[in-house]
Amino acid sequence: MENVLSILFCLSLFYVVVTTRVKGYVTVLRVQGLILTVLLMIPFYYHFSFYGIIIPVTLLLVKVFFIPGYINKIIIDLDIKRRIEPTIQQISFLLLVIATMVVIFLASHILSRSTGLDVIPFASGFSAIVIGIFIMMFRKKLILHVAGFLIMENGIFLFSTAVASELPMMIELGVLLDVFVVVFLMGIALNRISDTFKGFEVRHLERLKD
Amino acid sequence: MFEFSIFIIYPLLAAGFCYLAKDLRIQFGASLVIALLHLGLSLFVFLGFYQPHMPTYFAVDSLSKLFLLILSNVYFWVVLVSYSYLKRPVMPKAEGGKKLYFLLLNFYLASNSAAILSNHFGMYWVAAEATTLSVVPLIYFYRNEESLEAMWKYLFLVSVGIAFAFIGILLLALSAKETVPEEKQLFFQLFIRNATLLNPIWLKASFIFIFVGLSTKIGIAPMHSGDVDATSNAPSPVAALMSGSLRITALLGVMRILQIIRPTSSYEFARVILIVGALLSVFVAFVFMFKVNNYKRMLAYSSVEHLGIILLGLAVGGLAFIGAIYHTIYNSITKVVLFLTAGNIHRTYKSREVDRVASVLDRMPKTGWLFVLAFFAISGIPPFGIFFSEIKIFEGILFSDKPYVLAIVMFFLLFIFINMGKIIFAMLYKEGTGQHSREETERFELNHIVVIFLLILLTAIAIASPDILYRNIMNIANDFGVRL
Repeated sequence: MENVLSILFCLSLFYVVVTTRVKGYVTVLRVQGLILTVLLMIPFYYHFSFYGIIIPVTLLLVKVFFIPGYINKIIIDLDIKRRIEPTIQQISFLLLVIATMVVIFLASHILSRSTGLDVIPFASGFSAIVIGIFIMMFRKKLILHVAGFLIMENGIFLFSTAVASELPMMIELGVLLDVFVVVFLMGIALNRISDTFKGFEVRHLERLKD
Repeated sequence: MFEFSIFIIYPLLAAGFCYLAKDLRIQFGASLVIALLHLGLSLFVFLGFYQPHMPTYFAVDSLSKLFLLILSNVYFWVVLVSYSYLKRPVMPKAEGGKKLYFLLLNFYLASNSAAILSNHFGMYWVAAEATTLSVVPLIYFYRNEESLEAMWKYLFLVSVGIAFAFIGILLLALSAKETVPEEKQLFFQLFIRNATLLNPIWLKASFIFIFVGLSTKIGIAPMHSGDVDATSNAPSPVAALMSGSLRITALLGVMRILQIIRPTSSYEFARVILIVGALLSVFVAFVFMFKVNNYKRMLAYSSVEHLGIILLGLAVGGLAFIGAIYHTIYNSITKVVLFLTAGNIHRTYKSREVDRVASVLDRMPKTGWLFVLAFFAISGIPPFGIFFSEIKIFEGILFSDKPYVLAIVMFFLLFIFINMGKIIFAMLYKEGTGQHSREETERFELNHIVVIFLLILLTAIAIASPDILYRNIMNIANDFGVRL
């Protein structure tokens, strides 16, 4: 079941690479949040515990409703043009991503021989981290940088389910809260940037140099 | 619970109080009381008068005792000068920033104390991220384009960096698969005790991720840019806080993983990475000192340089390690002095460009002379502390297995000194364009008293070399298995 969800997660990454609409990113964030929630819910199918349900519920609220909703609000408020302008051709970006994912999957397969780890969630999580960084590098709009950051965070979350048996709940909640506040601050900053510079692309941020 | 309240809970409550109390003076009073309590208790804990008992996820050891004292020392002075700083006129747009200033400072104190006192990697991560979040709005204090850009870049770069550090922490958990620490995850002490059992591949990977991730926050090249932008555009007290304490908190994370990796076979690998990072930082400072034309940026690059030197000392080990710990103390005090005096210059000249600042000694002699002294202190001229710690670091490198590193560092430091000197003496002595008529003599302010006190403190620690400090540093060296 974990493997199926991880593969779905990978497919959502492909979608994010080929989409040319800003809204597509928000949808992908919602889908990924949902996948992660379902992933965390699986153990409760066998034995239910009221205490343990807190994390999946928080995850659902933060990653499926709050954060994508907030990004959606920014897109509407700032009236960001709905089409993205890539700095790299879509097809070469897709090829780059496929090549990266192949390397990551092969490498994790080789590494899994020395340590016991679930290859598919591990590699999917790591792919999402790398693709998140690619999005920050190859997209001009700052809002997509935020989306790239969030895809990276989702990747880390998936990665953590593959790696650590369980982080303490307090820490897990702290991580979610931190991510939420980061996105919140980024949203405020984006608002200010669009007010001050009359735009929200990387080229507006070139004042500080030596 | 009492100590935990003073270190973390009271600052949080004070942050809440600052939100409710609208009057700036009341906010200042509350923050100052909290800062004083924090300073007093961390001094007591450091001197060994008080044995703190911490709840789960928190603990006190020699390293955290020292770093906590550094934090509360820097924080107290920053809060003390903040009120007079906030009274200075700013653009009307920036008035809004004042309301949140003390709230964020208190939140910063709570999160930074939590990061320093944590004994669990997860807790450390959460708290370290919270320090970023509390500092970011402070960078945007002036509400101008430069500070907005600096805020965005710092927030983004550090968030991505710290996400990398989280990957590193997860890899560390992975390296402990099928060993003892797997049961009780991610407590520092457990990892240190069982370090040799960890899987070396994942441990190395973990080290790289944690080091690269946190170096965005420490300001180690090549990830230094966000940090330099932020420190140079933030208001001076905030810049002092960042240079003096925030970077060191991030350094603590690197030191923890270094402590784990030390007894293992991967130590050599980690050392080489740290030395490369350190040399790169000093090199970056060397290059940018040639062309920097903004004096706060110059100070930010000086921070990059000094954190590089500290990292070098930590990596080389032996006497250099002891020197590096001393250097963290002296560097943090000197940075506060430098940024506060630079803030005074900025207020008078309304510019951070070196070209627009002339004959500081004439217009504001008190600040000017203190700036000269601070420059001597940061350049390692006796009797200021940095001289003694740098000597220790250099001697340690000279007698280590990598003495050639010393030649490289000395070469860079020489040019950094010359270029910084050129810039600073131009600011101090260069004849002005004449448009500034000589105003009334500069008033003697609280700001100057703080700076003078800190300079005296810097010299006194170095010359008196208190036994308790020496013993504490030897304990840290012991924990790291450093042999002299």
